[in-house]
Amino acid sequence: IMSAFGFWLMLSCTTIISSLQCNHLPWQQRKVIENSLRLLDKMGKKFPQQCLREKMSFRFPMQVLQPRQKESVGTAIEEIFQHIFYIFSKNLTLAAWDGTALDEFQNGLYLQIEQLEACVIKKHTYYHRSKEASRLKLKKYFQKIDCFLKDKQHDLCSWEISRAEMRRCLQLIDKVTRKR
Amino acid sequence: ELEDAGWQELPGCQAVAGTECDFSSAITEYYDAHYVRVRAHTGDSVSPWSEILEMVPEHVAQIGPPELELQSTNGVIKVRVSPPEANQRKKMWFDDLSFKYNLVFWENSSQAQLQRKTIFPVDTVDDLAPDTTYCFKVQANLPMDAKQGLFSPISCVKTTQKAVNDLLCATNLSVLALNMKFLLLWNTQDKQQGNYNVQYLVGYLKELNEDSSDKWLSVPGCENITSTWCNFSSIITSTGFYYLRVQAREGHNKSCLSREVRIDPLETNGIGPPGVRLDLSDTLLHILISPPGGAEDEFMRDHYDLSYRILYWKNSPDKEEEVKQKEVKQTIATVPDLSPSTLYCVKVQAFSEPYNKSSAYSQQECIHTPAGTPLPLIIFGIFMGALLVVLLVATPLVFVFYQAYAKIKYVFFPSCQPPLNIEGFGAQPFSSPYLPTAEEPVENCCVIESMITEDGNQIDFTDYKHSKQSSRDSGNYSNDDNTSGSKGSKETLEKEIL
Repeated sequence: IMSAFGFWLMLSCTTIISSLQCNHLPWQQRKVIENSLRLLDKMGKKFPQQCLREKMSFRFPMQVLQPRQKESVGTAIEEIFQHIFYIFSKNLTLAAWDGTALDEFQNGLYLQIEQLEACVIKKHTYYHRSKEASRLKLKKYFQKIDCFLKDKQHDLCSWEISRAEMRRCLQLIDKVTRKR
Repeated sequence: ELEDAGWQELPGCQAVAGTECDFSSAITEYYDAHYVRVRAHTGDSVSPWSEILEMVPEHVAQIGPPELELQSTNGVIKVRVSPPEANQRKKMWFDDLSFKYNLVFWENSSQAQLQRKTIFPVDTVDDLAPDTTYCFKVQANLPMDAKQGLFSPISCVKTTQKAVNDLLCATNLSVLALNMKFLLLWNTQDKQQGNYNVQYLVGYLKELNEDSSDKWLSVPGCENITSTWCNFSSIITSTGFYYLRVQAREGHNKSCLSREVRIDPLETNGIGPPGVRLDLSDTLLHILISPPGGAEDEFMRDHYDLSYRILYWKNSPDKEEEVKQKEVKQTIATVPDLSPSTLYCVKVQAFSEPYNKSSAYSQQECIHTPAGTPLPLIIFGIFMGALLVVLLVATPLVFVFYQAYAKIKYVFFPSCQPPLNIEGFGAQPFSSPYLPTAEEPVENCCVIESMITEDGNQIDFTDYKHSKQSSRDSGNYSNDDNTSGSKGSKETLEKEIL
């Protein structure tokens, strides 16, 4: 099994078309976050007043962005991007957002995810990550949002609340990446 | 430490005869730590509790097999993968987009080689031999969690013959990109002129679980063209990636889709050379750089975090000069300490450190430094100049000061003496000579004059008083001595007085 895994690992690395260089990532990451925040604003209008009473507190796990190992922040950010990408990938009809802005948003996120993944695998930092407790808290947080959307059947208010929450999330990441 | 009270009985695992038990129904929180313990009992006696087993469901869970759907068309195999837990309400891995699918396939013959490929959820496998049976199986993996899933059941299918209109298809798709201007080029095998339609797909759409074949869009300006190139810069944004393909058409029936090519704009793009301008001032050489893509367009600098590498040297025909290098981030650089009467040449290259990309060098620009003046001459010149300045400025100043001094001295400290016949002048310097002094006492005087006439009678004149004379006479009044004694004068004198 280990040999198969090793072989698969090697193959997956060579099939990833984007460059395996990791130097440009911190710089590019800042650009992606900047862009994502801009596009999140662009895709919809102001937060509708009628959705205020439905607002939920999801409690983002802050400790994920302040890990003991500095390299783990990159992995944490990759996971957050991955979850955000998943959340915005389907059942968006009732949100009625600007399709082009949404496309650009998702596209930028995914490219970054792909490149981060390649670097993480290359540097083998994933191995330690999988055992960290904060990573599970992150999954719980996004699962909560996913369940919230499903329960509300992806209606307008649930989407607007989720969008506002993702905005907060990206802003937190923005602060962290600026410090690096 | 775990308290005794919190333990719950596992349903379906009470009085179990064997040594295993399925307790899946009790697990609802996949990310929380769970603790399990077991004890045995026979009749009335009960064993002590076993060691506590701690586990997090998400850690120990294994990824189940995905579902595989195959379709053989046109010499290729279309593959469709459904993620594990696809129909479950409650999922362990609710983010099914994070799976990476590993397809393993082989020819259904005796000495088949296993081929592996990472595929999208909806993908095609080409480069297969026609009319051959291939067998496939796929597994879903989570590389970030270092998890490999179980393989799906094996499914075999036979490839069809390839379509004949192969010659129509565009081939050898290549991309040329400079300063974010993107050009797609291709070849055509067919001698006949075909109609081309260049299409693009926003990259992330391939990662979704749905078929993206209906999401392709035409590149504006390349919809119905006969040329074999297309400028697709208009659809490119810097943060994102794309797929491009060329659809070749002939008439209404025949069309062929080329292979797809993936574009990562910032990776694919080439940085063009910057512009250089030189300027001289004293012994400084100013190098003015205009960034690639133009000064007005901040795009290149913004996205690539550009820096510039400057090469400069003295261009002398007789001997080889050392080429010096300087790296700057700004668009202006200065070279100090130039030698006079020398030809300096400069060329600049733009590079991006994060992306490890560099442009070609700019055109070589040269400039001649003027003949320098010898140092003693310069010193003498400065000295003379300073002297002149001092003279021009100091002389009027001195003059003005002297004049002021003289005036002040004249008014407040006069040097001349008053004439000696003006007595008391100067004794009391602050009394005005024009103020009236105290009046001097004047006596009332009467003058009785007796005249001896020819009769010999004495005539007494009436007394008359002299009025007080004003002091204007300074108390002195003249007493005419009428010693001449003529009669006539006396009488007139009387009349005057009366």
